[in-house]
Amino acid sequence: MPLLSERDRAAVHEELEKLTNPVRIVFFTQALDCDTCEITQKILAEVAALSSKLELQTHNFAIDREAVAQYEIMRVPAFALVRVETRADGEGPQASRERDYGIRFYGVPSGYEFMSLIGGLLDVSHGDSGLSDQSKALLARVTEPVHFQIFTTPT
Amino acid sequence: MAIENEFVRADMIEATEFPELAQRYAVYGVPLTVANETIRFEGGAPEPYFIPSLLQQLGVAAQEDSAES
Repeated sequence: MPLLSERDRAAVHEELEKLTNPVRIVFFTQALDCDTCEITQKILAEVAALSSKLELQTHNFAIDREAVAQYEIMRVPAFALVRVETRADGEGPQASRERDYGIRFYGVPSGYEFMSLIGGLLDVSHGDSGLSDQSKALLARVTEPVHFQIFTTPT
Repeated sequence: MAIENEFVRADMIEATEFPELAQRYAVYGVPLTVANETIRFEGGAPEPYFIPSLLQQLGVAAQEDSAES
C-alpha cells in the first residue's frame, strides 16, 4: 500500500518534471532503535520512483561509517540531497561527481517537511536557491562556517 | 542559503522525533531556526527580513561599509 495517494503522486510527478540536473538522495537508516526509519525509506522510495532524475542511495548508519563521516550524519533517519554533475569531458567512472550543498533532513519528511523535500530537490537540481539577488549578494559575504538547524513539526 | 554559499549548511529537523534536540535548543514553537548553536530566530518571516536579520546576528553586515559613503 503506497503512502502517497494517486493524486499526490501525480502532483509530485508534475512538480519533478522541473528537475534539470540529477539529484541523489543519500539516505541513512538502521534496523534497531529507529521508529521512523522504515516510513522515511518508503516515502523516499516512492518519491524517487517518480522521476528518472532521482536516485535513492541507502546506507546503514550503524555499519557504513565512512559514508556517515563523509556526510556528517548525526542521527537517523537522515538524508542528504546532493547534485550529481556530469563533466562534459568526463570518461569512465569519474565522469560524474557529487556537489554536496550541506543540506540534510532529519526525521520523516511528511506534512510541511514533505513540501520542503520537494522544494529542496528542485533547488539542488537547479543549483539555485531561488532567493532574491539582494539575498544572494548578502549571502556572498558569509566567509565563515554557518550551521543552521531548522526545527519543524509535521503539521 | 546553503546552495548559495559553501560555508552554509542546513539541517531540517523534525522536532518531535528528536526530543533530546528539541530540549537542548528549547524548541517551544516552530519553525525555529538555530544558527551556530546560539543564535535563535523564532517563527517564519519574509525573506527580505529573515535573511538580513539572521546574517546580521552572525556578524555579516547588511549594508555596504558606511565608511565609504
